[in-house]
Amino acid sequence: MPETSTLLSPELLAKLETMELVSRKIFRGRMKGERRSPRKGQSVEFADFRNYVPGDDLRFVDWNTYARLEKLFLKIFLEEEDLHFYVLIDTSASMDFGTPTKLHYAKQLAAALSFIALIRSDRVRIETLGQPGSQPGAVFRGRQSLWQMLDHLETIEPDEPVPLAEGVKNFCLRNPGKGIVVLLTDLMEKSGYEAALKYLVSRNMDVYVVQILSAEEVDPDVQGDLRLVDCEDGNTAEVTISVPLMKRYKQTLAAFVDGARDFCNRRGMVYLLARNDVTVEELVTGFLRTRGLVR
Amino acid sequence: MEFTLTNMLSWWQWMIVAAVPPAIISLYFLKLKRRPIEVPSTYLWHKSIEDVHVNSIWQRLRNSWLLLLQLLVVLLIILTLLRPDWKGQQLGGKRLIFLIDNSASMRATDVGPSRLEEAKRRVGQMIERTNAGDTAMVISFSDAARVEQQFTNDRQQLQRRVKAIRPTQRSTSLLDALRTASGLANPGHVAEDTGDLAVAEALPAKLYILSDGKFPAVTGFSLGHLTPEFVPIGRSDADNVAIAAFSVRRSEADRELYQALARVKNYGTDEATVMVALYREGQTEESDNAELTIPPGEDRSAIFELGAVEPCVLRAKLDVDDDLADDNEACAIVSPAQPANVLLITAGNEPLEMAVQTDSVARIAQVEIKGPDYRQEKTYLDNAAGGVYDLVIYDRCVPKTMPQANTLFLGVLPPSGGWKAGAQVAMPQILPSPSDHPLMRWVKLGDVALLEGTPLKIPSGGSTLIDSPNGAMMAVAPRERYEDVVSGFVIVGEDTGEDGKPRRYIGTNWPIRPSFPAFIFNLFEYLGSGAAVTEGDNVSPGRPVELDAPAPGAQLRVRPPKGKVIDARQVKPGKFSFMGTDDLGVYEVLWKKKRQRRFAVNLFHSDESDIRTDEKPAIKIGYVDVNASTGWVAASRQFWKVLLLLGLAVLMLEWYIYNRRVYL
Repeated sequence: MPETSTLLSPELLAKLETMELVSRKIFRGRMKGERRSPRKGQSVEFADFRNYVPGDDLRFVDWNTYARLEKLFLKIFLEEEDLHFYVLIDTSASMDFGTPTKLHYAKQLAAALSFIALIRSDRVRIETLGQPGSQPGAVFRGRQSLWQMLDHLETIEPDEPVPLAEGVKNFCLRNPGKGIVVLLTDLMEKSGYEAALKYLVSRNMDVYVVQILSAEEVDPDVQGDLRLVDCEDGNTAEVTISVPLMKRYKQTLAAFVDGARDFCNRRGMVYLLARNDVTVEELVTGFLRTRGLVR
Repeated sequence: MEFTLTNMLSWWQWMIVAAVPPAIISLYFLKLKRRPIEVPSTYLWHKSIEDVHVNSIWQRLRNSWLLLLQLLVVLLIILTLLRPDWKGQQLGGKRLIFLIDNSASMRATDVGPSRLEEAKRRVGQMIERTNAGDTAMVISFSDAARVEQQFTNDRQQLQRRVKAIRPTQRSTSLLDALRTASGLANPGHVAEDTGDLAVAEALPAKLYILSDGKFPAVTGFSLGHLTPEFVPIGRSDADNVAIAAFSVRRSEADRELYQALARVKNYGTDEATVMVALYREGQTEESDNAELTIPPGEDRSAIFELGAVEPCVLRAKLDVDDDLADDNEACAIVSPAQPANVLLITAGNEPLEMAVQTDSVARIAQVEIKGPDYRQEKTYLDNAAGGVYDLVIYDRCVPKTMPQANTLFLGVLPPSGGWKAGAQVAMPQILPSPSDHPLMRWVKLGDVALLEGTPLKIPSGGSTLIDSPNGAMMAVAPRERYEDVVSGFVIVGEDTGEDGKPRRYIGTNWPIRPSFPAFIFNLFEYLGSGAAVTEGDNVSPGRPVELDAPAPGAQLRVRPPKGKVIDARQVKPGKFSFMGTDDLGVYEVLWKKKRQRRFAVNLFHSDESDIRTDEKPAIKIGYVDVNASTGWVAASRQFWKVLLLLGLAVLMLEWYIYNRRVYL
């Protein structure tokens, strides 16, 4: 088992130790965990009383109340269960761009968030958009799964381009449960990202959309007469770089980002723009904390 | 200015040249190899360029400054091949003299702000177009010339001096200006034994005369090395109505009453209806307004009954909107009759003595009768030289020197003045020639007979009062500012009788005719200035005024209508001259801060008021007719070199843009 990883530095791991994921909703888990569940169970946290009915476990009868009222009441405690944490990574060719590549950045971010989930005994599932529909992604649970999780992330490579909507749809079909899902993508989908995000919303999941853009995309350092080739579909755009054109590009990008943020906010999703020239540590400890994904 | 192009190439050469721009454009498209760059997504780029349509041909051209600059270079070269030039105008000559008319008529506003401003503007343009090395001189002229700027090639200085030229109210005389201008062009000659030698080398010059041409033809001047160009200023349809004369006189009906007469002339091309208003010391009444309808080229008079008047300033104003405002107002100083101071020196002339002592004469004159010996007395000599008398009548006697007064000589000739007499004739017949002279007003001589008479030869400027088949029997002629009346016959003569004693005889029956007292009255009224209703004669602008000292040693000062009080210059004892009559209006003569007299300066000048220029303006200088011209001569200026330099500059700009990758 390797002692170091290119995705998470020891310093970052130390910082992440103190953090935990925050879910804005209470979901039912599958195994006992550290989070409150809508199900009543055997945690130490009191929830309610109910009348005793024959067959109930006598251990939960509140004898103090019986002594006072001479009626049998059963104490009900909240159940603590695990949280389902999904990371969905866009592995299209456009993510293999920038320095570091957007995919690498996405993997780093996924590793950091997954680590936080693991140390809180949450259930982590890491999937990619290009994953075949019937093949569910690996599930990690507990601190001991950290290195497995990191290994799994390391193996993720740019894949054949799959439309965003189709990838998300497959994800939803594979994972009927509820939980937190973090979508790491650049949203550069010619057919639009709206359909994909709607799938996630329809699952009533706690959705975080992290749009990762490279610095080269935000502020392109190009000049002259160019033929721009799309790395995914080979589509070309012939441009002559000029000040007005650059101005218009930036306006378009700003409008695109604003549109995505607005779309997400309206539907209860949290949108976050990440640039690859901002470190993951900075992003997690700064932006994600302010956005409420971690605390 | 005219822009012309000259075809320098044949048609097939033009075909080649015309093929260059399309070739550049096609080369541009061919050479445009776009650098392929892989990007994560062309999604945003497509959205960015959607509205720009970057692939359209015009968009490509718009973004390619290099192509545009290359095309510009080619266009400049093609234009250079067409050899463009301006068929412009410039001044001819290396030495230029600008004569600018600033007389009263140049104040007319029919062109520009005024004719003078228009003339100054044109001269300014001409100075701007002078070639390097040309020298120019600026002279302004009215009735006198003034050198505004000597020959210089400093255009700024010339422009400044031209701008500084101010209009005047004076009349126009070109001769003085021509003489000033010809100084260097026509140097004087000295007579040597071997012939006539020029004292300096003649420097020919071009003479630009900017004027409205409203002045008499110049005679007695040779242009010599001057080449004149007349640049007319003004319009032939300029409109002007002017007060041509304004005077005050006694009423014909009642000699105690006065009337003012304004003669208004229409110099325009259309009939004019004008309102003439009379102002007495600035006040006007309804009865002081008269409406005149004046056909073009004619004049009409407005008569205002003044009644008995006190000394005052009368002003006549025309309410008319014409092109020259200065002659729409005139003023006169009214000074009711002060008795004229008349001296009669006679050895005895009863009819005359009786005639000068009538009541009607006594109202207008104070007559002193002395014998011939009085001529030697100091009192007479002082008074005669000091201008005390208004009129001196010498009956059969002559003074040693002419007095400073008007005179009447009966039967004798004045000692000076160019009077001559013919042989005495007996019983000369008086011709009924109607003299319009004021002296002969109401004087009918049909019933007058002369016993004998001496025909007179009248000096220049004089006129006959009583004519006979033998010659003038009585005449009047000017002398300085006075007038002398000379009679070739006597009223009472004296000869030696048969007994050897001197005896008197009656020389004419005129004294017993009604016309005699009328003549005497006219004489006193006309020649005795005390009878004059208007104080002082009208003075033309710029003309000197002679002033008499009220007392020996007096220093006279003059207060003009505008500006400060000016000292009058003493020309001889008791006589002053005042030159500063440039403004129109009333001038006051002061002595010891008290007003002695007033005089009015009016523009009663038909040449200046008639501001219409001729249809074909021309002036005559000596025997040379100078027709109107614009002052310019045709000149062409080619500027293909400028275009070529411009092309080079564009080429360098293109090089800079290409190398520095300037993105616009």
